[in-house]
Amino acid sequence: MRSKKLGIVLISSLLIGLPAAAWAANKSGAGAPVGSGKASATKSVCGLGTGKKATGAPIKIGGIAMLIPGVDFTTIGKVADAYFKCVNDNGGINGRPIKYILYNEQLNPAQQAALARKLVESDKVVGIVGNTSFTECGTNWRYYKSKGFTVIGAGVQAECFGTPSFVESNMGPRYSNIGAAQALVRAGAKSLIVASPDTIAAYADGGVLKVAERAGIPGKSFPTPLPITDANSTILKLVQAAGPGGGVILDFTPDSAPPLLKAAIAQGLVDKVLWGSSTPIANEFMAGQFPEFDGKMFINQEFGLLDASQGPDTRLMLEILKKYAPTISPQAFAQMGFMDGMFATTALLKVKGAVTAKSYNNAVRSLKSVKTDMLCKPWYVGNALPYHIPNNTDITVDYKNGKVVLKEKCFDIAAVDPELAQTRAWEKKYKLNR
Amino acid sequence: MDSVIGLSVFGVDWTFLKPYIVLGLALGGAYALSGVGLVVLYQTTGVLNIAFGAVGAAGALISYYLVNHTSTPQWLAFAACIAFGGAVSLLYGVVLGPAFAARDPLVKTMGTLALALILLGLMAWRAPAGGAFNRVLTLPTTNHRFELFGATVNWTQVISLAFAIFLTAGTTIFLRTTKLGTAMRALADDREITATLGVPVRRVEASAWLVSGLVCGTAGLLLADLFTTLDYAALTFLVISSLAAALIGRLRSLWVTLAGGLAVGLVQAVLAPYGSITGYRSATPFVLSIAALLYLSRHRVVSISRTAH
Repeated sequence: MRSKKLGIVLISSLLIGLPAAAWAANKSGAGAPVGSGKASATKSVCGLGTGKKATGAPIKIGGIAMLIPGVDFTTIGKVADAYFKCVNDNGGINGRPIKYILYNEQLNPAQQAALARKLVESDKVVGIVGNTSFTECGTNWRYYKSKGFTVIGAGVQAECFGTPSFVESNMGPRYSNIGAAQALVRAGAKSLIVASPDTIAAYADGGVLKVAERAGIPGKSFPTPLPITDANSTILKLVQAAGPGGGVILDFTPDSAPPLLKAAIAQGLVDKVLWGSSTPIANEFMAGQFPEFDGKMFINQEFGLLDASQGPDTRLMLEILKKYAPTISPQAFAQMGFMDGMFATTALLKVKGAVTAKSYNNAVRSLKSVKTDMLCKPWYVGNALPYHIPNNTDITVDYKNGKVVLKEKCFDIAAVDPELAQTRAWEKKYKLNR
Repeated sequence: MDSVIGLSVFGVDWTFLKPYIVLGLALGGAYALSGVGLVVLYQTTGVLNIAFGAVGAAGALISYYLVNHTSTPQWLAFAACIAFGGAVSLLYGVVLGPAFAARDPLVKTMGTLALALILLGLMAWRAPAGGAFNRVLTLPTTNHRFELFGATVNWTQVISLAFAIFLTAGTTIFLRTTKLGTAMRALADDREITATLGVPVRRVEASAWLVSGLVCGTAGLLLADLFTTLDYAALTFLVISSLAAALIGRLRSLWVTLAGGLAVGLVQAVLAPYGSITGYRSATPFVLSIAALLYLSRHRVVSISRTAH
C-alpha cells in the first residue's frame, strides 16, 4: 500500500516536474548562455566567454549612425550593441561591462561634428565603433585624428578609406561596385551602367567606370537622388542606357533597392541586361521577395555567406541576433556590426592596465591578422598607416529559392585605384593579414 | 521597324519613349481615378477631400500587413484596402460631415486635412519609412505582361487605365439616370432646396462618401503597386496629382478630370528621359493645372470696381 502511494507521488512529481524543468530550461535559453565557453577553431565566444554578467564600472564606447528617408544605417550600430551585450553577459572586459552610446544623424555635417564632440568630450567614450554615414567620415576625420581616435566602423565615402582616422570592417560601395563590375565583365557584359545615391555617386561609381575603361566597354554613372520617388523611370533609364547584353549595377541599401527590382519585373526588364549590385542587398529578405532574379544577380558580397555552416563567427552572430536583436534579420549590415563589435572587444581585451582613450586606440592600431570566417582574408589595422582598406578580397553571390548562394569564390578587388595597390604592398611588407 | 525609321522626339529615340508612355498612361489612370472620386464627392458634399491619398496609403499598408504577416488570402487582403477606404470615408462623412455642412468650403477642406494628418501620424508610428527594408506590395496582375507596339505592358497598368475610363463613364451614366444620381446632382446645385424637396440629404451625402472612399481604396491599391514602393508619405502626397486632375476638370467635369489625370501621368513619365528637365517633373501637376485653369477661364470677364471715398 505504501509502495503504491510512493509510486503515485513519484509519477505525479515527474508529471509536474518534467514540464516545469523543460519550461525553466527553455526560459534560460536551454543550455549555456549565448557566446559562453572556450574559444576554439570551431567555436567563437563573446569576449571572455565566462557566462557571468560583468558588474564593474562601465567602459564607454560611442557610435554615430546615419538615418535618413531611404537609408537606415543604424542597424550596424544596433548589432555592435548586441555584440557588446553578449560580451557583458560573458564577463565583460575583465569584469567591466561595455556601455555603448549610439547617436543617429540625418546627413547633417553640423550635427555630425557636434555628436563626435559630444561623444569624446561630454560622454568621455574611450573609443568609437560602428559609425556609418554617407558623409560623417569627411566631417570628422580631422577631429578624430586630433584626439588620437581610430574609429572602427563601416565606411561609405572616400575619407573612410583614405584617412588614418577610420578602419572599416567593410570595403565600402566603391570597391564593392568594382567587384560587381568585375563579375559582370567576366559574365560578358557589353557595357557597365552604375547607379548610386547622388550624395556618394562621384566616389562610389568612379571605380566601375575605370573597370569599364580597362575592359574596353562603355561605362556610365547615374547619380540617383534619395528617396527614389520614381523607380519605374529610374530603372528604365538604366536598362536603356545599358542596352541589350549590358550590365546594370545597383548600389542601394535594402531600403531603396526593392522598388527598383519590382519596377524591373513589372516592366519585363529582368532578362534585358545582366544585373550587378554592391553588398547591401545580399540577404534572404531580398532573395525571397524577388524570385524573378534567381540565377540572374551578380552581387558583390564583402563578407561570407549568412549561413551557420560558414563558420563559428557567423554562427555566433546568428545566435546573438536571435537573443539580443530579434527584430534584425541576418544581413550584411548585421555582419558589419558584429565584426565592429568583435574587433573593438579584441582591442579592449588587449589593453594592459587602465582602459583609457589612449590605451584603447593604441590597442586598436596594433590589431593585425584578426581571423574571422566572415572575411576572405584576416582583418587588420596596422600601426601608422595613412589609410586602411583591410577588406579588399571578396565573393560574388546570387539569389536562389529565397536564399543567397555563392556564385564566385574569393577574388581580389581589381586595383584600379593606386590606393588599393599600395594597400596590398603594405600587407605584404608588414605581414598584416597572414 | 522603329530603328529603321529612327524617329526621334526632341533628341530621344521614339523606341525609348514608348515604355514611358505605358507608365504614364497607367499612373495617369490612377490619378484620374482619384480625381473622379474627388469630383463626385465635391459635387455632392462640397468637400475637397485632402485626405484621399492618406486613406489610400493606410489601406495599402493594411493590405501589405495582411499579405506578409498573416495567412489572409491575397484577394481578401486587397479587398480590405478598398473596404478600409470606404469605411473611413463613410465614418468621416457620417460623423463629421453634418457638422461641417454649413461651413465654408475652406473649413470643410481643413477638416479632411486633419484626417490626413491623423492618418499620417498613425502610419509614421506603425509603418515608419526608412526602416530596415522597404515595403513592396505587388498585385498578382503585375506579373502578367504582354507586348504592345514594342513596349511591355502589365495587366495592373491595363486595369488602372481601363478602370479610370469605366468609372468615369459609369459615374456619368449613374448621375444622369438613377434617382440617387439625380439627388446627388441636386445637392450639388443647392443643398437647402434639395432638403426642402424631401431628399434625404444625409443619406445621399453618406452614399457619396462611401463611393468616394471605395474609389480611394482602389486607387491606393493601384498606386501602391504602380508606384512600386509602399512609402506612406509619397503615396499620401500623390493626392496632389489627383487634385490637379480634378482642378483641370474645374471640380465639375468628370471627362475633363479623366483627361487631366491622364495628361499629368503622361507628361510626368515622358519627361523622364530628357536629362535637362527630368528634375522638374514633379512640377507637372501644378504647371498643367495652372495652364488649364488659365485656358478655361480665358473668356471670363473680370470686373474691378473702386468705391470713391
